[in-house]
Amino acid sequence: MSTWRKMRVTVRTLQGFMKCPSRTSCTHGRRGWDRSFTTGPVVHNRFFKDLEKQFSAARDKLVDALPGGQWTPIEINPDLPPERADIVIIGGGVVGWSIAYWLKKKERVRDGVKVIVLEKDPTYSQASTVLSAGGIRQQFSLRENIQLSLDSADFMKNINEHLGVWNEDPVDIQSVGAKVSLLSPTQLKEKFPWVNAEDVALASYGLENEGWFDPWTLMNAFRRKAISMGVIQSFGEVTGFNCSINRVDTVDGETVDIKRIKHVNVRMANSLEYQPVECAIVVNAAGAFSAKLVDMMGIGTGPKDTLSGLSLPVEPRKRFIYVFHCPDGPGLDCPFLVDYSGIYFRREGLGGNYITGTSPEEDEEPDISNLEVDHDFFTEKMWPSLAHRVPAFEKLKVTSAWAGYYDYNTFDQNAILGIHPLAQNMYFATGFSGHGLQHSPAIGRALAELILDGGYQTLDLTALGFERIMSNEPMRERNIV
Amino acid sequence: MLKILIPTLFLIPTTWLTPQKWLWPTVMTQSMMIALISLTWLNNSSESGWTTMNSLIATDPLSTPLLVLSCWLLPLLVLASQNHLSSEPSSRQKTFLSLLSLLQVFIIMAFSATEMIMFYVMFEATLIPTLLVITRWGNQAERLNAGIYFLFYTLVGSLPLLVALLMLQNCTGTLSLLVLHYSQPVTMAPMSSKIWWVACMGAFLVKMPLYGAHLWLPKAHVEAPVAGSMVLAAVLLKLGGYGMMRLMVVLAPTSKEMAYPFIIMALWGVVMTGSTCLRQTDLKSLIAYSSVGHMGLVVAGILIQTPWGLTGALILMIAHGLTSSALFCLANTNYERTHTRTMLLARGLQTALPLMTAWWFIASLANLALPPLPNLMGELMIISSLFNWSPWTLLLTGVGTLITASYSLYMFLMTQRGPLPKHMMALPPSFTREHLLMALHLLPLMLIILKPAILWGCFP
Repeated sequence: MSTWRKMRVTVRTLQGFMKCPSRTSCTHGRRGWDRSFTTGPVVHNRFFKDLEKQFSAARDKLVDALPGGQWTPIEINPDLPPERADIVIIGGGVVGWSIAYWLKKKERVRDGVKVIVLEKDPTYSQASTVLSAGGIRQQFSLRENIQLSLDSADFMKNINEHLGVWNEDPVDIQSVGAKVSLLSPTQLKEKFPWVNAEDVALASYGLENEGWFDPWTLMNAFRRKAISMGVIQSFGEVTGFNCSINRVDTVDGETVDIKRIKHVNVRMANSLEYQPVECAIVVNAAGAFSAKLVDMMGIGTGPKDTLSGLSLPVEPRKRFIYVFHCPDGPGLDCPFLVDYSGIYFRREGLGGNYITGTSPEEDEEPDISNLEVDHDFFTEKMWPSLAHRVPAFEKLKVTSAWAGYYDYNTFDQNAILGIHPLAQNMYFATGFSGHGLQHSPAIGRALAELILDGGYQTLDLTALGFERIMSNEPMRERNIV
Repeated sequence: MLKILIPTLFLIPTTWLTPQKWLWPTVMTQSMMIALISLTWLNNSSESGWTTMNSLIATDPLSTPLLVLSCWLLPLLVLASQNHLSSEPSSRQKTFLSLLSLLQVFIIMAFSATEMIMFYVMFEATLIPTLLVITRWGNQAERLNAGIYFLFYTLVGSLPLLVALLMLQNCTGTLSLLVLHYSQPVTMAPMSSKIWWVACMGAFLVKMPLYGAHLWLPKAHVEAPVAGSMVLAAVLLKLGGYGMMRLMVVLAPTSKEMAYPFIIMALWGVVMTGSTCLRQTDLKSLIAYSSVGHMGLVVAGILIQTPWGLTGALILMIAHGLTSSALFCLANTNYERTHTRTMLLARGLQTALPLMTAWWFIASLANLALPPLPNLMGELMIISSLFNWSPWTLLLTGVGTLITASYSLYMFLMTQRGPLPKHMMALPPSFTREHLLMALHLLPLMLIILKPAILWGCFP
């Protein structure tokens, strides 16, 4: 015991000896060799006290590193789209997500096709889908359009059967269904006393499969269901395509380049990072901006009236929607009314608010560089016609307004579905000119059949292909609002 | 032996010193010459079976066909990779070719090793170039996962093998294959002999692969570039079979009872992987699972240990090597054109590429073991010897053969027949290089019909 005490004393004196050889050379009471190099607070080693935390940290690292975990030795940006996919859908609007959902629905085996939906703007600030009035009607002049509307309305009536995800909230699309019946002016006045029926010869009233619904809910329902089925969503902008080119001579003696897309170059937002996505099929569902993708591929740059000059005749057109409040207006009994002059309006909510809009004349197209609203357009062009049709609308107040793009098909204002002859593996689903949202479920199914089955199965939409543009035979839709 | 080994080793300086313009023709020519010289090995005229100049490296009628197969495969690997590597920088191309040549050196030394430890070291060494090829030249992010599975499954299986071999060396005093037949059987307690049996066989069963330990194979095959898939399917799986055949001689009395569960597992694997093939959407995955099925039959044939079983296993290994490699090349020709491996999106190709359909047809028929191709010879020998062992195995092998035929036909009909999708109207036509590649795969297979004795000589 005493030896132990002696040792401790020796140690202590040694330490003391080491610590102070000469008192005169110390500065501020500290020695040169035992001055610590830290200036911050003193860190105590509480290893045993933190043992629990250390164990769980080690276990997390182990779980990450073992197979099945998320850790990889190479830092991969999780936002980048995968390096390859089977089908890349460019455009994350309602048409794009509808196509993605139907592709997954028809793939026959789980993970049959790998589908990516690329959307450049996660906020959807300029997307036509969310800025739409959300109406659905069957009253078109073209047979294909009517069939598309009927099938889409049927889909939306049973939307929870199609798009319901297990264990999540059901889809509430807030639609108002309102079979078309023709009304004479007196019948019209009886049914809707607030309408000025003086210059109306005939009114056609849709009793079923017509009305309006919430476009954002529909798109999100498609998105949620598609993602639950395995579609990959990626936010990035397409900056170009890697194509392989096949130069062929047509029967007419023209030399054309048939391009096959091998990679889609996707650039991340606000960054220089890009990922070339290798793919077999590209679907152009980019809506108002579809023509930009075609330009990136270098298609349609040849002389007009030749195959190489066949470009995509879709351009963005700005359309305004105004929300106004009219206390003495039609009230709850207001259907979605489309006037002969091209103005449409519908009820919004239950507080006497209405949504209205119209297509301007050809020569008065607003500037498409921004989404600024022109209020003079309402006061000068729309208010008089509104007041004429519904006298109660003489007293109204515009509470808000926004603008959105139509993907306007300058050729014949109808959808363009199918493959361009010079872009071998790019399928188009664009050019809807204002009725894309209401046709989106049926369009998605049609495109999925085209891609996976090789041809249309339920609705034959071959008339909406590129052939009509090549042979210059427009299929005009007369009831465009 | 050196006339093969030295040129293969010097293929590496050749790739690095050739100007880029002549790189691929030179490597192709040199490897083709090596392949042709290796054919002289088939001229076995030794009494003891072993043909050797020294006691360290030798060939015998078991290793000769496998050696010739691997030497034949190197020019085919070079031919198949030419297109997808053409867009890469020159140094990466040369690295790839050097890796393939290095892999070839290790494979040749593995098959011709007389000392089991040499075989073991080479067996492990082949993992490294293959891992590099899979993880660096594969197509998708999943290739890292595939590489990890590939590496660790094989390593975990083979570490006990090292211990077992060292123990064998301790007991018998030698591990030379030339004299291993004549050594005394190792005596030990029953439990430890069972563990030792599993330790010896485990590595090879994982490599073959046996059905329960096969998870690495679909991943590795799908994620590897075409040359990686080819060499994996054609040669590296056969390393497992070869090792099993060599080591079975020393495992003598324990094998009678220990082989039983593994034979059943292998046969069950044939049925199960065949069924999996029927619902695959990915073409390469389908061919990978079909490899597992065929190798299951080989495992069963080896574990039976009758002369017919072992002969059938060897013939099936060679035939499957050529067939599987041919199918992977065909899948790659598809992939290079359409950039998708999904069968749903690349259908009806007979309309677009009719000449390639002929090769698809022959390869699919070979896969389903059509007579008189050697695939059927091997399968028939194995099935007969299994039937002799127990008549009940006929149920499993019969159903397995039926399912093999159905998925091979399914693969052919899905990719070739039917309407051509609209997005595949103008595909680049088949290159002469691709036709040459397929011919060099399938012509030897058909020539073996004329002289099967080169493969049957081992166990008469």
